[in-house]
Amino acid sequence: MVVKHFRRLKNRLASAIRKVFKKKKEIKIGLYGPVNSGKTTLANRICVDWLGEELGKVTSIPHETREIQMKEKVTIKDNGRSLTFNLVDTPGIATKIDFEDFLKFGMKRKEAKERAKEATRGVIESIKWLDKMDMVLVVLDSTRSPINQVNITILGNLDARNIPLLIVSNKVDLKSSSTSRVRTAFPGYDVIGISAKTGAMVNELYKMVLKKI
Amino acid sequence: MNLRIKLIPYERLKREDAKKLVKDLKEGTIILVDAKLDPKEEADLIEETMKVVSTKFSGIELSSMELSELKETTNFERFKNMVIERIMGKKRGLTIIGPAKIIRKIEKNPEELLLYM
Repeated sequence: MVVKHFRRLKNRLASAIRKVFKKKKEIKIGLYGPVNSGKTTLANRICVDWLGEELGKVTSIPHETREIQMKEKVTIKDNGRSLTFNLVDTPGIATKIDFEDFLKFGMKRKEAKERAKEATRGVIESIKWLDKMDMVLVVLDSTRSPINQVNITILGNLDARNIPLLIVSNKVDLKSSSTSRVRTAFPGYDVIGISAKTGAMVNELYKMVLKKI
Repeated sequence: MNLRIKLIPYERLKREDAKKLVKDLKEGTIILVDAKLDPKEEADLIEETMKVVSTKFSGIELSSMELSELKETTNFERFKNMVIERIMGKKRGLTIIGPAKIIRKIEKNPEELLLYM
């Protein structure tokens, strides 16, 4: 409990300082998370809602997003408040990438090896871009166990850099989804359950983003 | 296949380059560290790993736990740990890093780490 309040206080303070010193800078909001958690689906949802066009391609094959993708000047509004930012969709972070995993999706060996190589570069890019973020939405697949090293490393690095964050527990439209499991795993953080695919609770997410930054 | 496990004190790991650690992992060594790595060290390790992923080395499995994560820890014990960790300059706990070809999965419960090989 104490840790939670301390973290919130620290993030608010960091956010206030950032507002004072970086007022004229373009705000970057990043979508971070493990592979196949729905980052690009959420990026597309946000872009379609506010710009009327998608950002990237979505498939069920892991590491579909292998390069940083950015949509500039996205403006979200709620109750007279608005925020304009650059939305950054990042490749999923992983500790291992086996080209043989791609063969299961019908890829040829050469194509699978190339995809694996691009995916490793994507992970490195994602990590390097952490320092450029003003806020991050950590997108987790709520049907999977939230306690894994990738999630812990992402959250730890954002905390260490004092970057405000929201945990987005995605895929609540699926039966095996459990946002409460995510909340229990990460008690010190603000968590919101949404479905980027159906749009459920996405308006609440916009409100939380406006409050946070 | 012979299993090679290396125990490294955190103080030595801090001095070493992540590249050297990854070289050991690539050669099939499992590494145990007597502390929790800090988030930046974890990110560096992932970054260095990704640079050398190949058809023969698919990456690593990594997990760590710190003393303060234990459920029974009281507020006083947490405070005591915090002071000790400040003085020691490390998070007391344990980190396991292994090549993904050897360690398929590490399951982390609040109180234990379970390795699937």
